[in-house]
Amino acid sequence: MNRRADGPTGGRAVLAGLTVLVLTVSPSARLPAQDSQFGIRGLGSPGKWESVRARSAGGAFAPFDAFSPLLDASLADVRRLSASVTSGTSWRTVDPVGRPEASLRGTRFPAVVISGPLVGRLSIGGGFTTYLDRSFGITTQDTIDLRGVPQPVTDEVTSDGGVTDLRLAAALRVNRRLAIGAGLHLLTGSSRVVATRRFADTAYKTSQSSDEVAYEGSGASLSALIDLHADLRLAGWFRSDSKLRADIRGRTAAENDLPRSYGAGVLWRPGGQASVAGTVSWRNWASVGPGAGPNAHDTFNWSFGVELGSASAPIRFGVRGGQLPFGVGTTPTEVGYSAGLGRQFSGGRGRVDLGLERLERKGTGLTERVWTFLLGLTVRP
Amino acid sequence: MTRRFACGFLLIAAACTEQATAPGDCPNFCPGGSIVIQDSIFTAIIERDSSFRGYVQGYQAEAMTAADLPGVQSRAIFVLSTMITRVAPRPGDTATVPIAVDSSRLRVTMVRRNRATTNLWLKLYSIPITTDSTTSFASLDPNFTAPPIDSVNVDSLLARPLITDTATLRIWGDTIQTDSAGHTLITADSARILTLFFELDTLQAPFVVADSGRVGFGVRVTADSLASAAFGTTASGSNTPTLLWFYHYTIPDTLSTPDSVVQANGIRVPQFDSFVFDPPLAPLDSNLAVGGVPSARSLLRVALPAFLRDSFDIVRATVILVPVAAVPGSPADSFTVQAHPIQTDLGAKSPLSLGPGGSVVVHPGSADTVRIELTDLVRLWAVDTAAATAFILGQDPEATSFTEIRFYSSRTPALRPALHLTYVKRFPFGEP
Repeated sequence: MNRRADGPTGGRAVLAGLTVLVLTVSPSARLPAQDSQFGIRGLGSPGKWESVRARSAGGAFAPFDAFSPLLDASLADVRRLSASVTSGTSWRTVDPVGRPEASLRGTRFPAVVISGPLVGRLSIGGGFTTYLDRSFGITTQDTIDLRGVPQPVTDEVTSDGGVTDLRLAAALRVNRRLAIGAGLHLLTGSSRVVATRRFADTAYKTSQSSDEVAYEGSGASLSALIDLHADLRLAGWFRSDSKLRADIRGRTAAENDLPRSYGAGVLWRPGGQASVAGTVSWRNWASVGPGAGPNAHDTFNWSFGVELGSASAPIRFGVRGGQLPFGVGTTPTEVGYSAGLGRQFSGGRGRVDLGLERLERKGTGLTERVWTFLLGLTVRP
Repeated sequence: MTRRFACGFLLIAAACTEQATAPGDCPNFCPGGSIVIQDSIFTAIIERDSSFRGYVQGYQAEAMTAADLPGVQSRAIFVLSTMITRVAPRPGDTATVPIAVDSSRLRVTMVRRNRATTNLWLKLYSIPITTDSTTSFASLDPNFTAPPIDSVNVDSLLARPLITDTATLRIWGDTIQTDSAGHTLITADSARILTLFFELDTLQAPFVVADSGRVGFGVRVTADSLASAAFGTTASGSNTPTLLWFYHYTIPDTLSTPDSVVQANGIRVPQFDSFVFDPPLAPLDSNLAVGGVPSARSLLRVALPAFLRDSFDIVRATVILVPVAAVPGSPADSFTVQAHPIQTDLGAKSPLSLGPGGSVVVHPGSADTVRIELTDLVRLWAVDTAAATAFILGQDPEATSFTEIRFYSSRTPALRPALHLTYVKRFPFGEP
C-alpha cells in the first residue's frame, strides 16, 4: 500500500528538511548578501530583505510576502508553521574607471524566516537576514621608499562578515481588511578583518594584522497591510534602528547612527493567475555620522513585479531601481532586472523557488555588474 | 537522473568557491585606514653591552691557522698520540717483539687558503712533544727557525697533472697529483680543500721508543704575499692530521717455521693541536670584541620600547655595528659574525638559544659598518614578553684564527651599536 506523499512520512521528511535547513544556516556572521565595492567606504552594503520569490520579481512582492523579512504584518497570512531560506550565488564584475576590470564570486544565505500562528489571529515569526554586508577584499600595489631604496609593496585588506538582523516579529489580523505587525530587531554579527603588506624584497617580512570587529545595535519596526478590495492590497512600514556600535576587543572603535526606513507598496490581482506589485522605500542613510558621513546618501528605491500562473508553479518578472547609500561624489544608482519561477512539492508542504537577477550599479568612478542565481526553499511541516 | 544530480552538484560546488578580493581603487573604494610604515634607527636601545673571552680555546677549535702576513705570524702545531712499540707476533702470544719503523706518511688537510696568493709553500718543522696549550709563539720560535724537515710548493703541486689510473684510484681512493719529492695531493670541493701527504723517513719523523713514538710537527706557510691557510684539527673530524707509521717486526723462530718478517702500519691522530701567533691579541677593553683565541663574545642587551610590542608589527630589524678598526688578515681570513639569541640573561654564561639569529661575513682589511639582520629575533621579542631581549655576537667558527673584530660599544655614544627598525602600524580596523 502506497502512502500519500503528504501523509505522516512526508510530514516527517519535511520536518527533517526544515531542521537541517535551520541548522545549516544558523545565525552567524556569514550571512552577507550583496557585496559591493560601494559599501567599502561606508558602513557596508545593505542587504535585501527579500525572499527568492520577492527578489525574482524585482523585490516588489516583498511587503506582501511573509518570507521576506521586510514587513512584519505579512506574517498574519501564515496559517501553518513554515520556514524559508534564501541563498544566492553572485558573479560580480567590478569596473573602475581607468583601471582593469575584476571578477568576483561569492555564495551567501541572505535570509531565513520561520513563522507560524500562535493563538487565534496572532502569528509570530523570526529569523535573520543581512543588515549590512562587510565582506570585501582589496589589493593595492605601490612603491615606497624604505631605507633609501624604492621597495615595491602589495597591500591586501580583507573583511569577512557583516551585521546580521535578528528579528522577532508578531502580526495580528485585526479584521478582514487590516493586519498589523511589529518587530524587534537585534543587530549583531562580526567581521574578521585582516590587513597584509607584502614586500618584494624578502629582507622585509610580511606584515599582517587581524582583528574581529563585533557589531551591536537594535531596532524596531511597525507595519500594516490594508485590503482595500479583494484584489487590491496596500502595505506600509516604518523601521527605526539605534546606533550601530563596532567593538574591537571590548573597545568601541566606531559608533554610527542607523537610518530610519519607511515605504509603501501596492498589490493588485487582476485575475486568478496574475499578480502585479509595486513598492517604494526610503532610508535616510545620510545621517549615519562620523566616518562615512561625506560619502553617505539618503536613498530612494522602487520596484515593480509581476507573478503569473498558478500558485503551485508561478513565473515571475521584475524590475527595480534606486540608489545606494555609500559612494564618493554623487549618489550611486542601481538598476536590476530579474526573473524566476517556483514549484510546489509534497502537496504544497514544500516549495522551491529559482531566480536570476541582473544588477548594474553605477557611481562616481565605478560600475558594477552582478549576475545572481537565487535558490529558495520553503517548507511547511 | 544520476548524471543530472552530478552536474547539479558540480555546478553548486563551483559556485560555492569564493573570490572576494579585487584590485583596489583607492581612496574612493578602499577602507578608511591605510597601512602605515615607519623606519627608524634606535641609537640608544642597545645597552649594557659587554665582552667576555674564553669560550673556545685554540686547541678546541676545528681548524688551526698558519699565516705569514704583515704584522701577524701564525703557526699550526700538533703532537701526535703515542704509538705501539712492541707487538704480540702471534695471536695468543704473551711475549712481545719490538717493532722497527721504516717510514711514515703525514697527512694534513688544508681547509682554507688564500687562493689569490702565488707560490704558496707549506713547510713542516719538528716541535717538542711537550708542546701544549701553555706553549707560546716565542717558545717555539727556535724550532721554526731551524731548517724544515720537509716542504712543498702547493701551487706547483696543483699544477701537476692528475694521475687517474685505476691502480692509483684503488690505493688513494681518488685522483692524485704528485711531485718528484714524493708529496701527494688530493683535491676536493673544487680544490677548496687540499689533502697533502708527506712521505717521511725516520730522520724526518724519528720513532723514539722512549717517547712511545710521540712526535710533534709545526707548519708554516709562506707565499709571494699574504700567505694564510688553515688546517683541519681533531675537532673537525675527518680533516684531522694523521701520521701513518710503516713498520715491521719479526716472528721468532719456531719448530715448524723459520723466522719471518711481518710488514704492518699504524695510524695516529693528534693528542694536541692548536696554533700560536704573534703578536698576541690585545686585552679586552671598553669595546665589543668578537673572535680571536681564546674566542671572545659580546653580549648586547636591547631595551625594546613597549610601543613596538603593542601597536606595531616589525618587518625588518638590522643591528648596526661600527668597527673600531679594520681586521688584519688576508682575504682568505674572512669570517662570520653570528648574532645568537639567548635563553636567559646570565651575563657571560648566558646559554645560547636555538631561536632565530643572524649573521654577516666580515672581510679583513675593511672597516665598513657591519649590519646584521635580526628581523625574526626582534619579531619574536615583540610577541614573547618573557623572552630575554639580548643577543650574543660570536665568531663562526670560533678560535680557528687570530682574527678578531672589535666594535664600538654603548660607551662611545657617537658610534654605539644601534637597531634599525622598520615597522608597520596596526591597521585602524572598525572605522568606516
